[in-house]
Amino acid sequence: MQTEAPLTNAPPAASLRAPSPSGSSVTVRRVPTAFLVVYALVLGLGLGLGSAYWAINGDPPFGSLRLGPWQAWPKLGSPEADPYMRAILARRGDIPLATGEGLGFTARTDSDGMPFDSACTYAVGSLAPVARLWTLTLYDGDGRLPVTELGRRSFTSAEVLRDSQDRFSIVLSRTLQPGNWLQLPASGSFAVALRLYDPPGAAGANLEEVDFPVIQRLGCGS
Amino acid sequence: MRGFGRFLIATLCGIVIAAGVHIAAILASPYLAEQDAFAKVQGTLTADKAQIVSAPGGENTWLPRPDPAVAVATCAFDLRNGPMRIAARTGSLPLSFSFHKESGGVFFAVTDRAAVRGELEIVAMTARQLDEARAAEDENDPSRDVRIVAPEQQGFVIVRVAAPSPSLRPQAEDAAKAVSCTAEQDP
Repeated sequence: MQTEAPLTNAPPAASLRAPSPSGSSVTVRRVPTAFLVVYALVLGLGLGLGSAYWAINGDPPFGSLRLGPWQAWPKLGSPEADPYMRAILARRGDIPLATGEGLGFTARTDSDGMPFDSACTYAVGSLAPVARLWTLTLYDGDGRLPVTELGRRSFTSAEVLRDSQDRFSIVLSRTLQPGNWLQLPASGSFAVALRLYDPPGAAGANLEEVDFPVIQRLGCGS
Repeated sequence: MRGFGRFLIATLCGIVIAAGVHIAAILASPYLAEQDAFAKVQGTLTADKAQIVSAPGGENTWLPRPDPAVAVATCAFDLRNGPMRIAARTGSLPLSFSFHKESGGVFFAVTDRAAVRGELEIVAMTARQLDEARAAEDENDPSRDVRIVAPEQQGFVIVRVAAPSPSLRPQAEDAAKAVSCTAEQDP
């Protein structure tokens, strides 16, 4: 409209503008101020709430302990949990393992950093950190226990089969495997949780990457 | 150029407001959450035995990412009704208690390694109730209770009993259900 105006209505437009140059500049200044205030508020609310929502639906941003593919938040179950951890726990409705009870690790990638794919076959082994009991549990992409034909979703340190040197290997695969086998869900991603119950010393202390099981990708079927 | 400068200032103001809103939202969310763990366990306030949250096997539970080898049971407590005594007989299965505040967050945890003669017994109380209990105590016969001061009036205890093998799962569930949590009358 503005570009057309000079062609069709040039004289009236010019006469409208000419008498009141100061008045139009005042309105030009006042309207943007109100607009800018609204803009700043909307930006602040949108960005603030959006980033908070995004943050509490993810993993705690601080205080993570990463040992190879295994990741844990040792402060999650302690009185020193930071506000992000508390917000995330409230959002999930989760009850973490308390410091003193144990520590839960999660892996979403293999030891080479490649994300898990249920079309592949993985071997988890052969050592685990010292604890009174550990459990290794499979979850699907949504954090639920997968429903598979095998029915088994976890191994504990007491039931896993070991060789003569006390080493173990758990194979994660969709197809039948000899030995310790956990069947992967039919499709999509998955996660593996390693929970150490009643480990010696404070949770998270004295843990070293060499004591943790290595997750090796053996191959990917079609 | 001047309009652009004002726009830049407004954007910066917006980002500063966003930081404030973000911090406020994160700090407030544990208190505003309606689906947090305390809301779900509140129904167990009146029960005098721990109620199962997640039976071994991990089926039919609201608990995210349940461990199929562990029975999880809970008792909610409200210390306005007096101190809360939680007691379990320990067996061969690993058992642990963790004490959680209403607003989320653990304030104490203990495993059955701390059990005395097969009994694990903890009394949770407020700082005021602890003072009263100390004052009422007989000097020649001091109480042997393990007393824990709770930072908030309300909260819940989580009992975890692990079953190292699937055949022990019913036993773990029974052990978790047998934990008693009773409100004590103020002395």
